[in-house]
Amino acid sequence: MAAPDFYLAINATFRWIHDNWGEAGLMDYWQALGREHYADVTERFRQGGMEAVRAYWQAFFDEEPGGDVSVERDGDTVTITVRTCPAIKHLCEHGREIMPLYCRHCQVVSAAMCEGAGISVDVQGGGGSCVQVFKKGCGA
Amino acid sequence: MIGCAEFILSYDFTFEYLRRKYGDEAVVRYWQEAISVDSQRHARELIIPNGFDGMAEYWGHTLAEEEAGYTSARTENVFRIDMYACPSQGLLKERGQEHFADYCEHCMGWLEPLMDDAGFVIHHEHNHNCMCWWEIVPRGPGHPGPADSSCPTGRSRMSRPTRPGELAGQDDIRLKPGWDTGRIDRWTASERSN
Repeated sequence: MAAPDFYLAINATFRWIHDNWGEAGLMDYWQALGREHYADVTERFRQGGMEAVRAYWQAFFDEEPGGDVSVERDGDTVTITVRTCPAIKHLCEHGREIMPLYCRHCQVVSAAMCEGAGISVDVQGGGGSCVQVFKKGCGA
Repeated sequence: MIGCAEFILSYDFTFEYLRRKYGDEAVVRYWQEAISVDSQRHARELIIPNGFDGMAEYWGHTLAEEEAGYTSARTENVFRIDMYACPSQGLLKERGQEHFADYCEHCMGWLEPLMDDAGFVIHHEHNHNCMCWWEIVPRGPGHPGPADSSCPTGRSRMSRPTRPGELAGQDDIRLKPGWDTGRIDRWTASERSN
């Protein structure tokens, strides 16, 4: 059930939490998502290592409509190259004002999700294209 | 990234996160402000000016996109949906996830403010087992006008939903096996009635 209109709700949710509880409130929400909601993914990464990371993100982006994304593993590093972000694309196509901190959720949620597996996350870019690097055992 | 494919799972988590951190009132306000007014503004743009035609267009698109199992029926005065396979709750059950106590409540949470603004009230029941029905009716004489001041609740003179099968025939979810098997939550003229 990949309904791209759900991106509209994700964007609205971030904006509403930020409007009500500020940046700290939004960070807390994203960290709770990463640590609690995605706890099973953390465990999958902890047990399966970087191949599990690659497989998770490959399957994830295969299901997201409208994106142009590649996922590659090189040893202890998995690199996600987002040439077209499916969420940003959909929000733009529907004329929605993108919540200014929207792209930061990828860094914060993923870092919270991966810290229990000893994996670091670095996201560079944003606004529709970015590079996300997941590394084993680097200060996570 | 929070994706759309498994959005329902994070949506359910979000309800419970808001409840435990900020209280029940925050969840209700989230549905009203973030979902009804902001996220679903495309539904408002269709339904408020176009009424039943807007509802048919909105749900024709969104329920197909979500691959829902449903039927709809309408008369001059009623727009009805019978949902026999809710994809959202189906996914939660498939994954064994239940962060928030009543995931189904979010639909009334965002639709009631929208329909109120559009001049309609909602009769609704859900059975917590992927089944629900909706009857959306004009708030009263003068639709789409202000709340009916002659009604004690300011809601509707049309306070009675149709009888099972009266409008939707055999598609009426209330006649289907499995409907009356659990706790049923009920709204009449947009007011919680159980």
